[in-house]
Amino acid sequence: MIEIGFFYLFSGLAVFSALGVILSGNTMYSVMWLILCFFNASGLFFLLDAEFLGIVLILIYVGAVMVLFMFVIMMLEVNKAAKREGWLQYLPVGGMITLILFIELVAASTSGIFTSDKMMMMSHAGAEVNNTVEIGKILYTEYLLGFEIAAIILLVALVGSIVLTIRERKDAKYQNISQQVKVRKEDRLRKVSM
Amino acid sequence: MAEIEFPFPFPEHLDLIMPEMILASMGLVVLMMSVFISKGRQQVVAWTSIATCIAVAYSVMSVSGQDVTMTFYGYFELDAFATYAKLLMLLATVLAMFLSLNYIKDVENVGEYYTLMLFSLLGMMLMVSATNFVIMYLGLELMALCIYVLVAYQRDVIRSTEAALKYFILGALSSCMLLYGISFLYGSTGSFMYVEMGEVIAASGDDARLAVLTGMLFVLAGLAFKVSVAPFHMWTPDAYEGAPTPVTAFMSVVPKVAGLIVFIRILVDVLPGLQEEYTTLLIFLAVLSMAVGNIAAIAQRNIKRMLAYSTIGHIGFILLGMIAGTSAGYSGILIYMTIYLFMTMGVFGIIIMMRRDDIQGELLDDFAGLAKVRPGYALAMGLLMFSMAGIPFLGGFWAKYVVFIAVIEQGHIILATLGVLFSAIGAFYYIRIIKYMYFDEERVAFNFGKGLPLQFTVVASTLIIVAVGLYPEPVMEICRTAVIGLL
Repeated sequence: MIEIGFFYLFSGLAVFSALGVILSGNTMYSVMWLILCFFNASGLFFLLDAEFLGIVLILIYVGAVMVLFMFVIMMLEVNKAAKREGWLQYLPVGGMITLILFIELVAASTSGIFTSDKMMMMSHAGAEVNNTVEIGKILYTEYLLGFEIAAIILLVALVGSIVLTIRERKDAKYQNISQQVKVRKEDRLRKVSM
Repeated sequence: MAEIEFPFPFPEHLDLIMPEMILASMGLVVLMMSVFISKGRQQVVAWTSIATCIAVAYSVMSVSGQDVTMTFYGYFELDAFATYAKLLMLLATVLAMFLSLNYIKDVENVGEYYTLMLFSLLGMMLMVSATNFVIMYLGLELMALCIYVLVAYQRDVIRSTEAALKYFILGALSSCMLLYGISFLYGSTGSFMYVEMGEVIAASGDDARLAVLTGMLFVLAGLAFKVSVAPFHMWTPDAYEGAPTPVTAFMSVVPKVAGLIVFIRILVDVLPGLQEEYTTLLIFLAVLSMAVGNIAAIAQRNIKRMLAYSTIGHIGFILLGMIAGTSAGYSGILIYMTIYLFMTMGVFGIIIMMRRDDIQGELLDDFAGLAKVRPGYALAMGLLMFSMAGIPFLGGFWAKYVVFIAVIEQGHIILATLGVLFSAIGAFYYIRIIKYMYFDEERVAFNFGKGLPLQFTVVASTLIIVAVGLYPEPVMEICRTAVIGLL
């Protein structure tokens, strides 16, 4: 029973803070709301006995991704949210799409397959089951191929961001060793008649 | 702590994935080569990449055709279908690299350009071999990430960066839709493997219907984004126009092949239980794509934008093969893609050649009077345009013919009639270029780009289109054998 209470607490707060992300006028506040949202999502993971995922979510998203977001916001100086001009103009179309999507999703999730009697009731795993070990087992065996592809995706992200941003400075001075070796005395010395 | 026992043995039959392994390691080698090779000799990097593609194609051919087609615990499959798709993509990549040789010479970071091309090819090769949504999605992201960067390669050109940003945002949105759909399908079936999901979906009753349908809708919409099917085509004209022309050639063929193969696999393996529903959806998408592609192209003055709409139209025709849902339809798609590959590469080769000073010959007006200056190029362009329009006894005619026949066999007469109608409308803007070339006076002085590989691409593509047009049977036979194991 207490679990249900916590579930509603975490998911309610997650929805509330997600609304905060898109509604708050200040970008910095949006980031803060997003952090709260991630904390609540990780709370949900804890309720499912997935401590590893819960901790990873906090460490990576709150610890790394959000800090990066902060840096970007600070560097770009986009503190003032873009003026919300013209949102009334997009409201009818956007609202329609949202409404249709919402009805569709409610219909889909109440259609019977996600009811509690169809779902496997998860009993809590005993203390001997180690979350991290289980994830490791599946990640490095069955999902090995996916894991390797993810590594290449990270490399590509790195290469891509460098390609798009690195600039060779025209005024930078650097040694050209081959030119230095090839130099002849005629290049450097000049006879002057006195 | 207890010793950890790994429940699985080391994956067997790893030779099936050898081509991908070669490609991945050569991608790294090319990346390092570009660091150590001096600026003037960066062409070495390009030729290494081309050699890599050829070597990979050879290894694909040598490892395929075995009795065992699965490896990595059944997450990777190299059947005849995937083999053919991979060879097609490798060929298109080699041709796109030929087109790049002179184009990507003066910019910085030549090595990274080819590295990104190789890695995006790797992503697509994994996509077509995936038997599982996880691998498919990872391959898709690898491909997309590389292509976003390639589109923005001329980063000092505002048009290019704007196109890349637009493509990136819409691409991310489509990935979200795809993932959302996958999550619904996973929630209702409890698996990520295509075949297992297909069995559960086919057996599921009315309870699961809405959830599965929602999942299907999102997955198909996400994939439709990637292969630029209308109404999910908004990014295509901008991305095509802004990208460097060889990249446009690359991204108008290779990702389309990969996306369509994934599309077919999902329809055949995951959604056989929902054939009626997805056919209705595909009919809507196909008609809309044919209409948007062929009608909006008429208004375009920029040939790259025009070709973007032409792609959308072609994808609409290709969807007819999926609507048929028979092996004739699927082999028709392969035939269509094969012929489309050569047409596109040839046309983009000519566009790249038409350089005057620094400006590419991108406007339709630039083609005016080409026949008097360069009758050879004009003839090639004319043949390719006739082929795209589907004039009989050129390659493009047979491409359309096979999908129309496949869809008529399934009783969709109205759909085939609409297809013929839109193809007739499309013929207008293809043939308009021929009018510009042959009947108008030269308005601007041309300064043609040179390069043997470039000329080779144009000549070879045109010859193949003519040859296939006169004698299509060998290509059709190969495509028919490629889909045998599919259904």
